[in-house]
Amino acid sequence: MTTSRRHHHRCSPTKDPLDDDDLLAEILLRLPPQPSSLPHASLVCKWWRGLVSDPRFRRSFRLHHRRNPPLLGFFGRDNALSFVPTLEAPNRVPPGRFSLQRGYGDRFVSLGCRHGLVLIFNVPRNQVLVWDPVTGDQRRLAIPPEVATYAEMATTNGAVLHAAGDVQKFQVVLVVAEVEDEEHKRAVACIYSSETGLWGDPTSAPLPSGHDPTLIRHSAVLAEHSLYWMLASMLLENFVGILEFDLEKHSLAVIQVPVHMLEQSQHRFSIMRAEGDGLGLLFYKDRGFQLWKRVTDYNGVASWGLGRTIGLDKLSVNLEGNDIMILGFADENNVVFVCTRDIRFMVHLESSQCQKLMGTYSHYHHPFESVYTAGNSMPSILLVTKSS
Amino acid sequence: MATREAGKKMIMLKSPDGMEFEVEEAVAMESQTIRKMIEDDCADTAILIPNINSKILSRVIEYCNKHVPTTGATGAAASDTVAPAALAEDLKIWDAEFIKVNRATRFDLIQAASYLNIKGLLDLTSQTTIDTISDNSLEEIRSFLSTKNDYLPEEEQTIRRENQWAFQ
Repeated sequence: MTTSRRHHHRCSPTKDPLDDDDLLAEILLRLPPQPSSLPHASLVCKWWRGLVSDPRFRRSFRLHHRRNPPLLGFFGRDNALSFVPTLEAPNRVPPGRFSLQRGYGDRFVSLGCRHGLVLIFNVPRNQVLVWDPVTGDQRRLAIPPEVATYAEMATTNGAVLHAAGDVQKFQVVLVVAEVEDEEHKRAVACIYSSETGLWGDPTSAPLPSGHDPTLIRHSAVLAEHSLYWMLASMLLENFVGILEFDLEKHSLAVIQVPVHMLEQSQHRFSIMRAEGDGLGLLFYKDRGFQLWKRVTDYNGVASWGLGRTIGLDKLSVNLEGNDIMILGFADENNVVFVCTRDIRFMVHLESSQCQKLMGTYSHYHHPFESVYTAGNSMPSILLVTKSS
Repeated sequence: MATREAGKKMIMLKSPDGMEFEVEEAVAMESQTIRKMIEDDCADTAILIPNINSKILSRVIEYCNKHVPTTGATGAAASDTVAPAALAEDLKIWDAEFIKVNRATRFDLIQAASYLNIKGLLDLTSQTTIDTISDNSLEEIRSFLSTKNDYLPEEEQTIRRENQWAFQ
């Protein structure tokens, strides 16, 4: 209980939770997770500003909303880590708020975002960076030798995530496609845990032969306890399969997809978290999205089942017979980024709402979903001092 | 005073205005504060709940009764025959009715939920409070709080400039 701002308030006959620092903080935690929430609350009065600017409050606010982070925008894999906001004003966080200082000789490539963290491949230095664009925290990790040998080629992918239920710790998984001989390739993966500060032993799995498969540069999708990346043939750009890294067993496996999908362009697909969790697949066909789900029966036999279909004709986008290309998938918000020859847009799969996109283009959009709380720094002249 | 009744362990809660409420231990343990007292063996006799009057305490007990995750005498709580989704929907409707109270009662409930550490009730009461103000203008929020804008115009301008994007 505090008396710090009683003078701002009416003299209430009964104690009012809005007059109590702890209770008011508890209430303000439930403000919507949109970026403009805290700046707006700051304008109510100095006391509120003091509360929502407190680093402890900001940490709690991020924690409280960690399961429903807004889709703030995306980092393009190929555009030197520049952030492109996708929310409308007043929640459109300017790109300058998320910029990472490059050191001499650094070259950054985004490998994807999850749980508010961005995984960056610093190519010339054989390093990965784990970066929290909201707090500015970053960690640099040397890539283990088993992976580093192949990492310079365009076949590196990875994922960063918070260990289950613990926002203090994170894990990084790096995966490369490695040539064994002319006919055969295999995938090799390594997992790093911030808790031990160590990379685990590498694990590998053979990739489908005859397709010259490679890892697509989309960000990984997390479903249940596994990470998934798409595999496509290097030359034909056809969809070949899905690579799975099991976070519990630390094992790699290739998952087959329905045969009729194999002749299709990789750009018509995206891995997704299926409705009700589990591995899902988004397939653009006949001017609509088919939502596939992988199910396992009682005997442990897995198969693919077609769920619902979302027709794009109903959306206010004129496709004019153009084929589309899937650019990325935001799995916390269930949003897919797509483009045709002329336009780019996002489709919210739950509501089938469509939103056009402007600005920077990238073949691979890495969606950034996080709770933005920065930008409420308090100039000293505005500090609310505790009075008796 | 812990007693046994129909196989269920009961516990006595006392409000400062002298009312006593006999509740199932499982119901009382929806409060993490009371749970800790019971687990630490500090609850042999009746537990006095300070600062929470009998009117509010009875509402809190009503909430815990509804939300205790057991089958049994508490009406439409969990049952093997009811699907979890239907149960959740039922609770949501019940919550919405429960929180239709005046501002003073709601605030008393927030304080009680905070003191007794009942997460669901704190979520419900706090979220309802935020929902009533979050779509309002600054002036409306200040009026709701009976507070004044204590910024100088230039201070307000500084804050707006700091996050200009948020005020477009």
